[in-house]
Amino acid sequence: MSVIDAFLRSTAQTAAEPSPGPSRLREGILAACLLAPAFLFLVAFVYAPAVLAFALAFFNFHPGGTATYAGLSNFHAALSDPLFWRSMANTGLYALMMVPSTLVLSVALAALLQSNRRLFRFAQSLVVLPYITPAVGTAIGWLWMYNPNFGILNALLRGIGLKPIGWLNSPHWAMPAVVLYSLWHGIGFDVLILLSAMSQVPEGVLESARVDGAGPWTRLFRITLPLISPTLFFIAVMTTIGSLQAFAQVYALSLSSGGPENATLTALLYIYQQAFTDGQFSYAAAMAAMLVVCIFAVTALTRWIGHRFTFYQ
Amino acid sequence: MRTIAHVLRAAAALGLGLAFLLPIYIAFVTSLDRPQDVFVYPPHLVPDWNFSVWVQTWRGNTWMLAIINTVVIALATIAIALTTTVLCAYALVYVPFRGKAVVWTALLAVLMIPEQALLIPNFVTMAKLHLVDTRIAQIIPYGASVFGVFLLRQHLLTLPREYHDAAKIDGCGHLAFLWRIVLPLSRPILFTIALYIFIGCWNSLIWPLMVTSSPRVQPIEVLLSTFLTQDSSNWQGLSAAAMFATLPMIALFVLFRKPILRGLSKSSGING
Repeated sequence: MSVIDAFLRSTAQTAAEPSPGPSRLREGILAACLLAPAFLFLVAFVYAPAVLAFALAFFNFHPGGTATYAGLSNFHAALSDPLFWRSMANTGLYALMMVPSTLVLSVALAALLQSNRRLFRFAQSLVVLPYITPAVGTAIGWLWMYNPNFGILNALLRGIGLKPIGWLNSPHWAMPAVVLYSLWHGIGFDVLILLSAMSQVPEGVLESARVDGAGPWTRLFRITLPLISPTLFFIAVMTTIGSLQAFAQVYALSLSSGGPENATLTALLYIYQQAFTDGQFSYAAAMAAMLVVCIFAVTALTRWIGHRFTFYQ
Repeated sequence: MRTIAHVLRAAAALGLGLAFLLPIYIAFVTSLDRPQDVFVYPPHLVPDWNFSVWVQTWRGNTWMLAIINTVVIALATIAIALTTTVLCAYALVYVPFRGKAVVWTALLAVLMIPEQALLIPNFVTMAKLHLVDTRIAQIIPYGASVFGVFLLRQHLLTLPREYHDAAKIDGCGHLAFLWRIVLPLSRPILFTIALYIFIGCWNSLIWPLMVTSSPRVQPIEVLLSTFLTQDSSNWQGLSAAAMFATLPMIALFVLFRKPILRGLSKSSGING
């Protein structure tokens, strides 16, 4: 993740600082006092729970009751649970649809919207707006657009002479419908960071390419995109991680069920259902642990692929 | 030829922008239609400006309480997280101490742990502290913002180093320097961080959904999701409720478009 690379790089900037002798201890105490509040929260709600999350999976725990050691039984149970596999497959499918479509669409939108003129700035704002709106609130409008009988999407399909689609009622179309909603909701962020990366491509390079007879498409594919490939890679990684953690969009669009016929049951939704509808905390913790391992593995794989195809200046 | 291309491109950009607004607009129209105009084909695209559903829906549930809860939770989170962020970033930039690299690595690790893995143990913690179904439980897990620390630290590194040296020579201690120089110079970035915490609180779903069960303490997005899952065929009521949750965010965006967009592009600055 380039966020992390940046972190590591910035570590180097500040780590080596001259510290005067006598006040050193006092500064050390001061630093500890300044860092303590933030780390108090991080220890209580991030570091300790991260360890506890794995521990929980090895016990049979009921809130308010006792915990008994369960060994690997929760993991065995998950691995032989067809719904767990289904939810993992759904999550993978969702990510496989999300990542390429996010990359293609965000590049297309950024190329179209790149301009400092007012109308274009306005259009950029409209594309970003969904990103800061609440998922459930906006999903309601989408549920209505997806309505098979009265929704605007089927009205459009009928208008151009195509057969209407069942959208969220159809096991085949439900996941693509969730993907379409998620693209609408999240792509503004990707477009915005692409625009900011594109504005840093040296004007001179583009200008000399133009003089040499390169058309707008050649300039986009041969100059701009290679130069901003670190940003494209960043978007790919962030979309992958975000997709594997899909929850709010399926919770809202499937009315918390993961239906129809479990077609939109993502891993996190299933974990949520097990933990908070059925009270199976340890079982949910075991599945969460496996999901986290998958997320790490996929992130590492994406990094490995990305580094081979990314151009760094 | 070139002008035609320009006009076409501008038209495409505008049309696309408006298309992004469509899903919100559809809910807006549905919520303001007379009931006989809702279930029609082709869909209705101009509202009847019939506010009776809004009034009825507003009275039918505790929306005001949910909005107050959300704002209280957001403001408390902002107060705590901004304080911890300022202190932490200040130490990282201006106080020399051993083990800075370790502290950095620890902060970095937070970004790699998916929040979802923490939900169940955090719920257990809240249960042990008897904080389930309270507002506090929705505030304290977000008491430290690593994203905020990163943004603020980036900003502090751009301030001239001489300020700190001059202050030191004049006998200005760390706390006075922080209070009189650093904070006033960091106001815009702190405002951006606060906006993001506010937006995050307004839109957060899974954790409040898990840790609360009564409308007394629930934020708006949770109340809305309860309404949605229990009354999913009440289209007009749902659309009106969706407006209660969405319009304040749109207003926020219109008011603070620049700092919001600045924050988004800055988070791309994190990327190398």
